[in-house]
Amino acid sequence: MKKILKSREFLVLALLVAMILAVSTVNAAVLRPLTLINIVNSSLFLVLIAIGQMFVVMTRGIDVSVGAIAGLSAVIFGMALNAGIPLPLAMVCALLTGLVCGSVNAAGIVFVGIPPIIMTLGTLGAYRGLMRVLTGGSWIESIPQSIKTLAVTRYMSVPLMVWAVAALIIVLAILLSRIKAVRNFYAVGDNREGAYLLGINVRATEFTAYALAGLFSGAAAIVFTGQIGFVPMQTGSGQELKAIAAVVLGGVSLMGGTGTIWSAVIGALFLTTVDSMMIFLKVPGSWNNAVAGAVLLAIVVFDYLIRRAVRNRQLAMRAAEMHHAEQDHDTRLQPREAVR
Amino acid sequence: MKAAAVFKSWEFMLAVVLVLELLVLGMINPAFLNIENLLFSTSDFAHVIIAAIGLTLIIMTGGIDISGVSIMGLASIVLGLAFIAGVPIGFAVIIALGVGIAAGAFNGAVVANTDVNPLIVTLATLFLYAGIATGLPTLLDMLGFQAYGAGGFEAYQYEGITGLPKAFTWIGSGRIGWVPMPLVVALLLAAVATWVMLFTRFGRYLKLIGVSPAVAHFTGVPIKRTLVTVYAMNGFAVAIAGLVLTAYLGSARSDLGSEALLSIITAVVLGGSSIYGGQGSVIGTLLAGFVLGFMRQGLLALGISSDVVPVIIGLLLVGSVALRIGLAKLSTARANRAAFAAEQMAVEGNGGRS
Repeated sequence: MKKILKSREFLVLALLVAMILAVSTVNAAVLRPLTLINIVNSSLFLVLIAIGQMFVVMTRGIDVSVGAIAGLSAVIFGMALNAGIPLPLAMVCALLTGLVCGSVNAAGIVFVGIPPIIMTLGTLGAYRGLMRVLTGGSWIESIPQSIKTLAVTRYMSVPLMVWAVAALIIVLAILLSRIKAVRNFYAVGDNREGAYLLGINVRATEFTAYALAGLFSGAAAIVFTGQIGFVPMQTGSGQELKAIAAVVLGGVSLMGGTGTIWSAVIGALFLTTVDSMMIFLKVPGSWNNAVAGAVLLAIVVFDYLIRRAVRNRQLAMRAAEMHHAEQDHDTRLQPREAVR
Repeated sequence: MKAAAVFKSWEFMLAVVLVLELLVLGMINPAFLNIENLLFSTSDFAHVIIAAIGLTLIIMTGGIDISGVSIMGLASIVLGLAFIAGVPIGFAVIIALGVGIAAGAFNGAVVANTDVNPLIVTLATLFLYAGIATGLPTLLDMLGFQAYGAGGFEAYQYEGITGLPKAFTWIGSGRIGWVPMPLVVALLLAAVATWVMLFTRFGRYLKLIGVSPAVAHFTGVPIKRTLVTVYAMNGFAVAIAGLVLTAYLGSARSDLGSEALLSIITAVVLGGSSIYGGQGSVIGTLLAGFVLGFMRQGLLALGISSDVVPVIIGLLLVGSVALRIGLAKLSTARANRAAFAAEQMAVEGNGGRS
């Protein structure tokens, strides 16, 4: 319990609640259940790609192509639906697109040895260009009603997609804490050589991380298409940076080896909430990015200051112990000298 | 450098690629090889080269700054707003450059004084500076500044500020002899940056920090001061890039250059810089910038849709790095084979004697 309270995820969650409460003193409409539900609903896209990103960052990698993968998957999804392919099969198409795109990233990074940021930056351009090539640059519209009704269906006034993603997160959280192989992500991210010497299949672990990032981007594409009802060319544009911001905000270190699924979820929720709060404070929307950037910067710097303080205290304690030990040593020596 | 080393260098390969590229594009479309056309078309991508030169110095230290594209827009909109507010254009340029330097120095200060990854620091400031750039017009309105025109500053939030004086737009559209001004600016900056890298102690510090921060620290390199300075220099360079582009387009916008990030990093990496630091050259970046820029121009001139261009740039980025990795592996393998052969010779020689 104490561990949970001390965790970065909890700190960000507390900040999130504090922010909502603070804004509610200015505009009480924030606390309406429907408002909160809508904020969660609009965060689903970011939550999903942030979860994918989390696996990659955990292994000390980075994937800046997730937004482009989501865009390409959305295009394939829309085209499949418009071609008359039934909804479940079209969903599989979108997920497969994500998986394949992620695997291409993984192949370049794991087998060729291209630095992750370079590989995914390159495929960011490639996937985004491919989107335009496939559609000729025009939006995909007139998507069948089936997917849109899925997005507006609500149970107990909570959208079906929120239920679905929540269920997915809970299942994942349980799986991630039960499956032994999940520890490999942490091991590889924390110490690649050490993990290799332990007999962990480092390449397979890294490959899986990037493939999962692609798969979750594909899932995000399904949610996006359902919620928006058409596929614009900007789908997912800029979201890769938001996804990285979300996981870092939630406490996944870019140095690898840390983080949980809750980091991604809470980080993504936080960033979406910041955007919504601006509306309730009647701040012009043009300031959203500035606030998101300032919050991210403040949190990572604050985190650094805390870590430094903790380390300094440990060092001081160790120094004090050494000092004591030396003094003991001195006092034990002195009588002996006297005897002699 | 010996002659053989020059021919083997990555920069020489890039120069060959550049010549080949121009020849191939010229063969397909002879109109492309018109010198005046070629020189003039550099104005379309000079801002990418200028920003890439600044980034080369940072990547030399093993850092990165992706917020440069936001600083471009910030410098542009600051210049435009200052101009509208009635500031003389020369002074407005100085303000915009000052904002660029300050924004860069802030990145550097955070990178130097914390252990937070430069990618994350500049990711945060990428959002921060872009947000400030788009929000600035409304802020000026709220603070009660008066603009000429009925809409106030807010009117300029999304549309560009036009009507900039000739003395300023000359930087973007004027030319000295045959050479357009944006190219003159890019070449001047490249010369200065090359001089810094090769002939100053500061340049040595940059490389040493990139090779090994720990060694640099123990050698007495003033790491913090060096980092803040190099990020500030990059801020200065991207602000210039933003102003050159503003002058070229004749309109100051807050989202100027925001799509250039992929091209800028591609130019630096294709130019031979290692993102792990300690390796690279300004000349390489300059050449890679030309290769990329002319390729884009050539493809568009051939009637290939601009949609395909990012696909090709992306493939080039990945391909060039893969090629370098492959070459490095080959040379290691060759060195190993040679060492193995020498070892065997030695063993056999020993065996003969005993």
